[in-house]
Amino acid sequence: MAIIEVENLTKEYRLGAMQGIKQTLLNTATRLAGKKVEERPLFKALDDVSFSVAQGEVVGIIGHNGAGKSTLLKILAKISTPTRGSVKVNGRIAPLIEVGAGFVPEFTGRENVYLNGAILGMSRQEIDQKFDEIVDFAEMAEFIDTPVKRYSSGMQVKLAFAVATSIESEILIVDEVLAVGDIAFQRKCLGRMESFMKNEGRTVLIVGHNIRQLERICTRMILLKHGRIECDGEPGKASKQFLDETTLKPEHVIENKGILPHFDSGDIEVLSVEIITDEYKEGTPVIALFADMHIRIRVRAHQVFNEVEMNFGLHNPEMVFISKSSTSLLGQSTSFVDGENVIDILVKKIALCAGTYGIGFAMYDWSRRPLWGGNGIVWFTVEAPSDYISRLPPSTQSYMPALWAINQRQSEAITYAPALPATQSSGFTS
Amino acid sequence: MLTIAKNLYDYRELMATLAWKNITLRYKQAYLGIAWAILKPITLMLIFTLVKSFVGIESGDIPYPILVFAALMPWTFFQESTSEGVTSVVGNTALIKKIYFPREIFPITSVLTKLVELGINFVILAGLMVWYQMMPSIYILWVPLIIAYTILAALTIAFVGAAINVYYRDVGAALPVLLSLLMYASPVIYPLQLVKDKLLVQQAAGEWSDALYTLYTLNPLAGIIDAFQNVVLRGIPPDLNAMIPGAIMIAILLPLSYLYFKRAESYFADVI
Repeated sequence: MAIIEVENLTKEYRLGAMQGIKQTLLNTATRLAGKKVEERPLFKALDDVSFSVAQGEVVGIIGHNGAGKSTLLKILAKISTPTRGSVKVNGRIAPLIEVGAGFVPEFTGRENVYLNGAILGMSRQEIDQKFDEIVDFAEMAEFIDTPVKRYSSGMQVKLAFAVATSIESEILIVDEVLAVGDIAFQRKCLGRMESFMKNEGRTVLIVGHNIRQLERICTRMILLKHGRIECDGEPGKASKQFLDETTLKPEHVIENKGILPHFDSGDIEVLSVEIITDEYKEGTPVIALFADMHIRIRVRAHQVFNEVEMNFGLHNPEMVFISKSSTSLLGQSTSFVDGENVIDILVKKIALCAGTYGIGFAMYDWSRRPLWGGNGIVWFTVEAPSDYISRLPPSTQSYMPALWAINQRQSEAITYAPALPATQSSGFTS
Repeated sequence: MLTIAKNLYDYRELMATLAWKNITLRYKQAYLGIAWAILKPITLMLIFTLVKSFVGIESGDIPYPILVFAALMPWTFFQESTSEGVTSVVGNTALIKKIYFPREIFPITSVLTKLVELGINFVILAGLMVWYQMMPSIYILWVPLIIAYTILAALTIAFVGAAINVYYRDVGAALPVLLSLLMYASPVIYPLQLVKDKLLVQQAAGEWSDALYTLYTLNPLAGIIDAFQNVVLRGIPPDLNAMIPGAIMIAILLPLSYLYFKRAESYFADVI
């Protein structure tokens, strides 16, 4: 049975500034005189959205900024009313839309728990019962009688989250709250959400930008784009479509505007960073999934450096490092001559999900004094044929270049792209 | 009507909590605390008493300070709950944009908050009555009814004002001015008896006198203040003739005001 039923939901906003009382009166007069008034243009935040959610489903709603995610949640939480269409909700809703709404800074944590609980629709008796549990979950026993204005923002959110999730509601609406608190608390929150879903069968609607996290906890995902449902289905499918759009969109690919270091001692100059490939798409080098990648970095040292340490890593557009490598494990010293030096790096069998990645590179001298370092100094795209992706399990950032042996018959499963010619590979140390 | 009452009953705890928040918040870091609540009527009482010593105002056989205090109590309650009620929705933007509960809770809570301050003023009034050696009569039982009526009058303005204030902040700015004008059109400084004598007995405005008096009593505060003074100080029942025009007006306008508020409510979060 559907617990939430959304039909042809449309929400329009008028663009432009609110009219003053004078303009309104003038417009009314013009209208009364039978003339047409110049209407401000409409903006469709949601455009004919229909879906239904069954009890126990955990639905992630993703999309770019302005895609209509928050508007949708606000309408479901009855904060805003739709322009057209209908929303039917069978059950109590606990909205966690920016938790901590209504926290009064002057009040102590205890007072705020009662206030916030009442605002969220809990009775005093209910809060009394849950009070210890709330404080315990938020790890705030020590500070509960301190005014909230002395709390750090993380502490406030912890307390707010604890209050909001203690409501016994059939439906939970969550808007990007999991992006707060430290890692330990985030994990705790996720744990709590998961127990809601699995043990208590509660229905959860969650909006967020952390796609990987959502992928993990959702049973279904809705991708919104310009107020319309673009994809509605398995988490992996919707998130992949979203990530593909994000990462492969030409304007999103970060232009190679020269090499901008994070730190630069001035002792070494990076002349060029190059990914050696024949294939380019919109100016970005393309590497096929499971192909080898060859990077050549040319630097000019202004003196001789013995025992240089170099680190090299790959990160995604959200600046999360996926993989790293360092010369410190080479077991032999690396040194630069005074003048130009060429560094060749070969990464065998790139096993990253299709998408855009940046290269980070850093150099240190023998005392680990930073010489030069930068992220996103060059970007490339990993591409894979679509039938490949559909056959590979979703929800990870990388694949394992594993070798399989079934009944002792060893075979190399991943033979998609031929390796670089042996001559080119020689001279690399790993 | 029934659903409104049920709604209010369902949300009684929230209203109580929000009212408690308003009161605690106002006096939390103030050294004098809740004493500030009585400062306004007492100061005004002193000023009016001082003014009265220059310009003669006929106050009957009741001492003027207590008469004016008894007028200031319902007046201040009405004035403050109206203006707080009108700004209550805009003042709670953070909540409006993030959580749903019936929005009429905000104006109603403002009025409830002021009820507490009114209660404190009753203590002062009792003190004054002891000072002037006045005994309350059985008619004091009218007080809850009169206060309830004052609440309805305040809500009549608060609902429609709060809704319009979301769209045009002009309301919030204009209201204090209008209310201070209304004070002079209400029997606060002078007793209603004075107006009655002038218009009904002396027929000061000729053939318009009776109509003018009805117009004067259309202001619900005219009846409220007079009734309050009657039952508390004079020991006589309220003058219902002075209350009826205002009561009829409130009976018509309050439902309209509430309906307007409920219609506008669904757009608060978008517009505010």
